[in-house]
Amino acid sequence: MGLGKFLIKRTIQGVIVIWGVVTITFFLRFLTPGDPVSALTPPDAGPEVRERMAENLGLNDPIHIQYADYITDLLMLDLGTSMRTGRSASIMILARLPATLELALAATIISMIIAIPLGVISARRRHQKSDYAATMFSLLGISTPNFWLGIMLIILVAVVVGPIPTGGRDVSFWEATVMLFLEANPRGFGNWAIHIFLPAITLGTYFTALLTRLTRSGMLEELGKTYVEATRAKGLPETLVLYKHVLRNTLIPIITVLGLQLGTLIGGAVITEEVFSWPGIGSFLIQQIAYRDWVLIQGILIVIGVGFVVINIIVDAMYAKLNPKVVTE
Amino acid sequence: MTDILRIDGLKTRFFTDNGQVNAVEDLDVRIEDGEVFGIVGESGSGKSVMALSIIDLIEQPGRITDGEIWFRAPDIADELVETDAVDGDYVDLRAMSPEQRGLLRGSRFSMIFQDPMSSFNPSITVGEQIAEAVEAQRRARSNPRSLDAKSQHYGLTDYLLGGVLSSKRYVSEPSLDRAIELLELVGIPDPAERAEEYPHEYSGGMLQRAMIAQALAGEPDVLIADEPTTALDVTIQAQVLDLLAELQTETGMTILLITHNLGVVARMCDRVGVMYAGEIVERGTLGDVFDNPVHPYTQGLLGSIPDLQGVAERLQPIEGNVPSLLDHEMPDRCYFADRCPKAMEECLEHPPELAVNDRGQHATRCYLAETEYTAAKALPTDYFGATEAPAEADTAPEEPTATDGGDHQ
Amino acid sequence: MISKRLKQSLRSELRTSLMAKIGLVLILLILIVAMFAPFLAPHHPTETRVSDDPEVDKTDLPPIGMGYETSETRLVDGEMQTVETTIEPDHSFILGTNTLGQDILSRLMYGARVSVLVGVLGALLATAIGVPYGLTAGYFGDRIDDSLMRGADMMLAFPSLVLAIALVGVFRDTDFHTQQIPDPFVLAARHDTLGSFVPRGEHVAAMPASITFPVTVTLVVALVNWVWFARVARGEAMAIRQEEYVKAAKSVGASNATIIRQHVLPNSLTPVIVLATIQVAAIILLESALSYLGFSETTLTWGYDIQQGQSAAATYWWIAFMPGMAIVIAVISINLLGDWLRDALDPSIEGEGGV
Repeated sequence: MGLGKFLIKRTIQGVIVIWGVVTITFFLRFLTPGDPVSALTPPDAGPEVRERMAENLGLNDPIHIQYADYITDLLMLDLGTSMRTGRSASIMILARLPATLELALAATIISMIIAIPLGVISARRRHQKSDYAATMFSLLGISTPNFWLGIMLIILVAVVVGPIPTGGRDVSFWEATVMLFLEANPRGFGNWAIHIFLPAITLGTYFTALLTRLTRSGMLEELGKTYVEATRAKGLPETLVLYKHVLRNTLIPIITVLGLQLGTLIGGAVITEEVFSWPGIGSFLIQQIAYRDWVLIQGILIVIGVGFVVINIIVDAMYAKLNPKVVTE
Repeated sequence: MTDILRIDGLKTRFFTDNGQVNAVEDLDVRIEDGEVFGIVGESGSGKSVMALSIIDLIEQPGRITDGEIWFRAPDIADELVETDAVDGDYVDLRAMSPEQRGLLRGSRFSMIFQDPMSSFNPSITVGEQIAEAVEAQRRARSNPRSLDAKSQHYGLTDYLLGGVLSSKRYVSEPSLDRAIELLELVGIPDPAERAEEYPHEYSGGMLQRAMIAQALAGEPDVLIADEPTTALDVTIQAQVLDLLAELQTETGMTILLITHNLGVVARMCDRVGVMYAGEIVERGTLGDVFDNPVHPYTQGLLGSIPDLQGVAERLQPIEGNVPSLLDHEMPDRCYFADRCPKAMEECLEHPPELAVNDRGQHATRCYLAETEYTAAKALPTDYFGATEAPAEADTAPEEPTATDGGDHQ
Repeated sequence: MISKRLKQSLRSELRTSLMAKIGLVLILLILIVAMFAPFLAPHHPTETRVSDDPEVDKTDLPPIGMGYETSETRLVDGEMQTVETTIEPDHSFILGTNTLGQDILSRLMYGARVSVLVGVLGALLATAIGVPYGLTAGYFGDRIDDSLMRGADMMLAFPSLVLAIALVGVFRDTDFHTQQIPDPFVLAARHDTLGSFVPRGEHVAAMPASITFPVTVTLVVALVNWVWFARVARGEAMAIRQEEYVKAAKSVGASNATIIRQHVLPNSLTPVIVLATIQVAAIILLESALSYLGFSETTLTWGYDIQQGQSAAATYWWIAFMPGMAIVIAVISINLLGDWLRDALDPSIEGEGGV
């Protein structure tokens, strides 16, 4: 089947999973004991007040009606209204989404820039000192709790460099870009970079370690294959043999693993945001769990879940494009 | 006839955790320009390692430790005339730098491998891969100082830029066109379409043809074919061999054909070398070796071919196993002595290469070239410890029947 | 189940690999510490030592050898004076104390108990849920496989930490949270007659009498992880059901349940064991993250201590550093162990990662 057909099939699968995600989230709310009505009404409210609140929240309708309302709202991208503040959940969540995206992307890009060359060097200098060092580093990287690493980095930076902002975020990437191009002011970028630097490194460490490991073992396996010898025998320069052929074939199966690991990255983002007070949806989730605002909690879960599914579809599509056997069989 | 390749005393060793493996041990051979030279041997005899040594693809933990590989290349000899690497029109490949040797790959020497499906990168189209070979040679030849590696430099930045700028890409349009021409040359139908396909979309025979096309990209002087037909169906084997023969007549290139299949040798080769335990134990023209084998190993190989026409006799396998090539386990005597039905006392010393006849074409590493075998001189049968006795001991002949060292001119 | 060949392979791999030896030694160390905490811990883990009297107050003491100088500006006799003081470590608190004056080393030892318990029990629970699920899906195949695995995979649509946080939020207010597990050593030490047999009897008797085991966290961690076990078990079941001996068993009329129990299950265990080992590491990281966020029912954990130490991290860095190092050491050793198992048994296993 061609690439188009594959994508359609995959998208349909994705939609089913999204439906599952949404439904699980819906039922999660019902699992929580604790009464939203009590949460939103003053303790001394009388039964009529409570009745009206229940009515407002739609709690008196039978479950399937609630579910139907829920789904229709979702299709219109309405995630409900916050129980605590009464504002639109969609808007609240959307406002905090860019920060998380910035963090996740920055971490991913930094990781790839470090890990892939490190993995290649490690594979080529197998059993030498640089290989052992890289392997040790990877082992440490996947064994270190993300939040602790963040705290240690904060200490390190404070001691070594001095007062650097180690929390929060003043300027968003978009704002910084606008400042740069419209006002020719690079300070926005400077501010953004300083604030995102530590969180991105903290978040990216696990990913870097994992990617280094995978690249290294993948390359070693690939280098043992016959076609490598045959390609060298053609007289092709070593650079091309290594990068166009070997590394490319190494990275292709790694892509599928990356898709799954992105979940870990998103999970890690939640903690990293908490440690560095980074205003994304991760820290937002933790905040709302403390407040028990289930509408918001649900909304965030849906956004994360759906985002994850979409990313996985994209990753699968990339894999199908790069691996000719998938599509033509 | 001039020789195109003269190998003297080649030793290739692998330094592994289990010890030193002497894959190629003191190998001497001469290959004439334009001939098809066959190398025959069992697995583990060192034939593939020899091929890889010539083309300089021996990787860690292996290394060529000794010997010279003289290659006839007057133009290169002129360039390097100041150095030790030159002897008349011949250059010693081993004395050249790795970069210089790398430049010879694809342009003077080409290689095709046993399993075509694993010799191509599965995720790049066949046409592109052949075009790479074409391009590599195109770039090499376009430099006036053909041994100057720097001008051929294509680094990581070039590759990354090539992803964006088409001018920086390694493979150029003319190379792709030439690749399609080559596919046509080897008899692949609809070459333009097939060039866009991936290796797994080709059949085994077609892919082997594609590999041959790739090997021809640089118009090499020497084509090394390592078991080119072993992975193919019998009917396809014949087609591929015919193709090779045809191409050889057209281009006049020399082919070094490595195989364990004596039938292939008989069909294709002008001269033959038999390898055992890293050495060439017998060599000569096809007639010499097949009709008058001297070395008992050669006799054994020939005796183990079933004869379709004659009376059905019991096949004569060679007893015992291929010896270990670990340095500390290799003895000082003739390596074949423990399996040899004609082992004599002389054989406890390692035999040198001895000419079988005056013309010097037929030579063997066996004392039987000079001395006759008599039962009196034989070593006791259990000298080397018990070898595995054949299942029906009573039907084993007391003397070898079909082929005998016999008289030789 | 574990054949002789596997045992040999394990042994030879252990002999040759330094890393495997280190991992094994470290794990044994951690297990011993966790089990014998009442004997080994120098102080009671939750006893606080806060006081206005500087002689009695033992808060924020540095580890041994890390005394430092600091200047304090204090109000003395109505005047602001800057006094240079040296903060000296107290030798009975080897790794220092935290802001409540609790001994860090003792807390690390007791924290090991929680990590080990949650890690092991969580992995066992995930195995108990996931393996039967996966075996069923893989063995019966087709529709059953489709529907079972589709449902399972939906759980993977959430990143594990996010799902864990959500589940904690759900279960937090329900009734099952903690379980007090009595500590046999302490009880024995407090007993009239047995007490005399217990080494360091008085010391042990003063230790906490029970361990607070966080049930919710363990449950959540298992729920988040079981799908990996299901996947591996499914793969194994699908391979095994093609085997000759399964067909032979069927032809003799054995029931599916018997076949699964006697043939499929024992032969699928090897990769499951490797996965379980790797997942213990992931579970420990997950549990520490949840503790850090304050979602665990017990505060005697490494993660919680890190959170406590965060605000003071700039000056009293050891408070947050020590528990973190404990986590790193524990996880590394488990990873090394997992590598050992995997290298010896050589299956290709995918697993979930950490935080």
